[in-house]
Amino acid sequence: MKLSHTALVRAPRSRVWKLVTDVPAAARCVPGVAAVTPSGTGKYKGSLLVQLGPVRLVLDGDVALTATDEAAGKASVRADAKDSRLGGTVRATMDLALVDKGEDTELRITSDVRIAGRIGEFGQPVIQRKADQLMTQFAECLARTLA
Amino acid sequence: MRADRRLIDALRDDLGCIGTKEGCSIGVCGACSVLVDGKLLSACLMPAVFVSGRAVTTVEGLARGDELSPLQDAFIREGGFQCGICTPGQLIAATALLAERRRPSDDEIREWMMGNLCRCTGYHGITRAIKAAMA
Amino acid sequence: MTYDYHEPETVAEALDLMARHGEDAHLVAGATAFTLLWRQGLLRPGHVIGLRRIVGLGGITATDKELVIGATATHREIERSADVARHCPALTRTFASVATVRIRNQATLGGNLAHADPAQDPPPMLMALGAEVVAASAAGERTIALDDLFVDVFTTSLRSDEVLTAIRVPALAPGTHATYLKFLPQTADDYATVSVAATMRFTDDGEVADVRVALGACGPTPVRARSVEDALAGAVPDAARIADAAARVDADIAPFDDVRGSAGYKRDMARVWTERALLSLVEGRA
Repeated sequence: MKLSHTALVRAPRSRVWKLVTDVPAAARCVPGVAAVTPSGTGKYKGSLLVQLGPVRLVLDGDVALTATDEAAGKASVRADAKDSRLGGTVRATMDLALVDKGEDTELRITSDVRIAGRIGEFGQPVIQRKADQLMTQFAECLARTLA
Repeated sequence: MRADRRLIDALRDDLGCIGTKEGCSIGVCGACSVLVDGKLLSACLMPAVFVSGRAVTTVEGLARGDELSPLQDAFIREGGFQCGICTPGQLIAATALLAERRRPSDDEIREWMMGNLCRCTGYHGITRAIKAAMA
Repeated sequence: MTYDYHEPETVAEALDLMARHGEDAHLVAGATAFTLLWRQGLLRPGHVIGLRRIVGLGGITATDKELVIGATATHREIERSADVARHCPALTRTFASVATVRIRNQATLGGNLAHADPAQDPPPMLMALGAEVVAASAAGERTIALDDLFVDVFTTSLRSDEVLTAIRVPALAPGTHATYLKFLPQTADDYATVSVAATMRFTDDGEVADVRVALGACGPTPVRARSVEDALAGAVPDAARIADAAARVDADIAPFDDVRGSAGYKRDMARVWTERALLSLVEGRA
């Protein structure tokens, strides 16, 4: 499933870059993320709680910063997580691009999300909505953090 | 009994009453139709613990000894089935209909039986059989 | 893996169990939605609390002022209730049109509302009728207007320490007409692609004195179509005015693609079916 999100962050590109490539700091802006701990160079372990009405997903897994190009304002993140209680895996690659917009920065995130197992039972419309909510809140939080 | 057993599991696996069939498992196809205290229900959606102390009627309970119920007899005479997998559910649903309305109209029959799917599409035979059983 | 099943006999006992088991508890009434979600593996509570033995949560009562439907009343009980039919025949028809008789025999209204699937039938009709729900917790009771109950897909404003105990539908002002229409392009027992509930009352001069419109399956929650209502309030509802008002439904809904239609198709159908619902009320007033 391909998702794309765009958000305007009211801060200069260099500051946004610093924050989004600091995985533990950026992760604090994703609602539902529990402590993210380093597990190697550019690699982290973390946990994300996603609640949809009575359904609670606890996604435990690895996040890695796989590529960074500060001059171009581009970074790639890969996440592999599973929910052991419900059974299911989520594998996502996210390409981030930061674009100067005057004094502000546009954050473009293109994600390719692969969902296997029970989590997929939700169906794409519901998953897409949830992803949209997470991304919107992520961008708002980045903006607040940098304000 | 485990709390998460469904009525269909209890009937087929625990009691060996395999007349009731499991089709879609999501309450749509009607193959697992049963009566609980006379009410038509999907055994695939009903927790088995919910029927504690209540009367469950399956297709096995429609005949009296060797004597078929008027509906069973009519389904045979009127060709109310082809492959037969949906027939236990059709019979139970029709039994509930005739218990509630003695002489349903054609529209009422179609509306009531709408929730019992027949993949052989033998709906005319089923409707004919229900009308014959009313006669 | 299974769960412990509890059947309290009073609301207080149910609240007690909820407090004891917290997030590990899940409430069920008819258990239709729960059974499906459990089978899909999307819910894994350690404790399931069944409400069906709580006598005070069942039944339907009517007074001059309101209709009160117990949370564990089944769709079928409501469909067959003489009190409901006297209160509003369109409400009876709404319940009679839900899925199949098997589902209606098992699924309860409280469960339907708490499950908060945006494509269910009763919520839009109950919204158009100005209904509210009663929620009980250890702190007492509060009422929540149906307009404020639904927050997101499968998500309500009920707190985790609350039980939905009843649904209250206020008496309709004399002369109020009501309807519920749903667009079912596939099968009669399917969820709707879009559904529209509407109530309308007229002045002696034939103007719209009161109008409420609500839609289902057009976004994450059932939704009031306030732009449509505003466009009709005080107006003489001729065909042109109704067409204009119905077109405004676009501003009130937020549909997303699902297996019963794309977002764009739902927008078109929301307009078409809103217009049909409004026309049927105007034509039916004679």
